[in-house]
Amino acid sequence: MAVLTVQNLSKTFNLGTARESRVLDDISFEVKGQTFVSIVGPSGCGKSTLLNIISGVEEHTSGDISLTSDAGGPARMGYVFQDPRLLPWRSVMQNMMYVQDDQSPATVSRAKEYLDMVGLAKNADFFPGQLSGGMQQRVGIARAFAVEPDLLLMDEPFSHLDAITARGLREQLQDIWAQSKKTVVFVTHDVVEAVELSDRIIVLQPGGLIYEDITIDLPRPRRQTDKNVATLQAEVLARLEKLKAMSVAEPVA
Amino acid sequence: MTDQMVVGAAPAAPTGPADDREADARRTARFRRWRRNALLALGWVAIYLVWEFGSWWFGSRLLPRPHEVFASAVEIVESGNFVTDFSASVLKTFAGFGVAAAVGAPIGYLMGRYNYWRAFFHDGVTIAGTIPAIVYAVMSLIVFGLSNFGPILAVALVSAPYVALNVAEGIRGVDRQLITMSEAFGRTPAQIRRQVLIPTIVPFVFAAIRMCFAVAWKVEALTEVFGGRNGVGFQIRTEYQLYDISAVLAWTVLFIAFMLVIERLVLAKAEARLLSWRPEERGAAL
Ligand SMILES: Nc1ncnc2c1ncn2[C@@H]1O[C@H](COP(=O)(O)OP(=O)(O)OP(=O)(O)O)[C@@H](O)[C@H]1O
Ligand SMILES: [Mg+2]
Repeated sequence: MAVLTVQNLSKTFNLGTARESRVLDDISFEVKGQTFVSIVGPSGCGKSTLLNIISGVEEHTSGDISLTSDAGGPARMGYVFQDPRLLPWRSVMQNMMYVQDDQSPATVSRAKEYLDMVGLAKNADFFPGQLSGGMQQRVGIARAFAVEPDLLLMDEPFSHLDAITARGLREQLQDIWAQSKKTVVFVTHDVVEAVELSDRIIVLQPGGLIYEDITIDLPRPRRQTDKNVATLQAEVLARLEKLKAMSVAEPVA
Repeated sequence: MTDQMVVGAAPAAPTGPADDREADARRTARFRRWRRNALLALGWVAIYLVWEFGSWWFGSRLLPRPHEVFASAVEIVESGNFVTDFSASVLKTFAGFGVAAAVGAPIGYLMGRYNYWRAFFHDGVTIAGTIPAIVYAVMSLIVFGLSNFGPILAVALVSAPYVALNVAEGIRGVDRQLITMSEAFGRTPAQIRRQVLIPTIVPFVFAAIRMCFAVAWKVEALTEVFGGRNGVGFQIRTEYQLYDISAVLAWTVLFIAFMLVIERLVLAKAEARLLSWRPEERGAAL
């Protein structure tokens, strides 16, 4: 688990010839402990950019980000992307081990454990090209969990999958998360999915401001078919009704 | 629920016509295969006839008849020269490739990775790739004279530009998202190079080597003819000096057969093996 503090974070992309586009505008929030936070918002409001900044793949323009492990010291991160992003020339198991710092037998068996949790223990020696898209995405999820990250970042991991597969994976994700103590920041544009999975939903609006910060207090494990989940989903959707009307901000000169 | 059951229980399509169609398709495929093999055989018969006619026209002193060349080839194989000279030629060809890869791959890497290195190398490498192979052969002879290094250098010079251009192409085609993934998981530049960049360019290097190979072994033999101390080209020159035309042809035929075998079997097999992760390559019989 980790403590993630984001303070007055802004990000502008330089579009060349004195044009720039503000994607995140003065965002502040804190996440800690075994919390599952979702970032939702319409397409283009800067969700992926926020995640990339947290992971360090992208620079931010101003503001502060601090990330520490609950135990103190630097936090380890895992990242699940929208697409599997596996090395096609390495087997499933080799992909799992590629992101590990040590190749000890203990690490290998931990990687196997997580593969087993996503139901792919039998496919350890397969190449990604021999797996279906959904199976590859499961490898991506297992890979991120297997580094035992303090903070797990997920960027719309189910959006490329069909409804049935996605539903199964959401349930799996909840179960694995419940067993492992991790702080999760989960990006999605799907409010319904966010309600099912999260303890808290941070809603971004076009222009990269925080629109709402909603706490979801429902018993776990939750299933898409639960009555109270469905009720709350409808409620949250209703609260975000106004967001529909806002158009994505134009780049400012 | 009920209408789902109905859908599930829909009567299976009658199998008769489908079976017939399948049998038809099989027959057609068999006929096509047969026709292709027949044409292949006919092609060889035509080559034989043209050769025989040529021998009759020019006289068998100038163009020995096929069976004379064949007898000569058998003699060469039996004498044992075959093994030593062929392995000499093959070794030189591959040594040349080794040099080409060692020089061409880093240049290609720089060209693919950095735009300013690309600007620096691009025209030079392109020109080097356009220079006729015979010029490289002559240059190598001038540099090394009568030695084994001439053919090696010639092969290296012919191949290096191809390797560089292909590697550059491969690096430029690298999947940025895999790099982002690696960085997100804290992989070092060295790990990224080993696990992402190099596997990306392997197919391109292979394409380059296969492309060069066809030219390279001809250049190698040519260089040996003029400045070799062993190898197939050297033997061809020796037989030529003895005016044994059927031995010259026998060496040539053996060399062609041998190199085609290497090209089709060894290189293709190695490539299939190295690229076995590609789903379409798996189990592809060669
Ligand atoms: N490298 C870049 N250069 C310039 N603009 C960029 C760059 N990357 C992203 N943007 C812009 O930043 C904005 C936010 O992009 P981002 O990918 O974070 O959106 P998102 O919220 O993840 O959307 P989606 O739900 O569609 O994935 C977009 O308007 C995009 O055009
Ligand atoms: Mg996104």
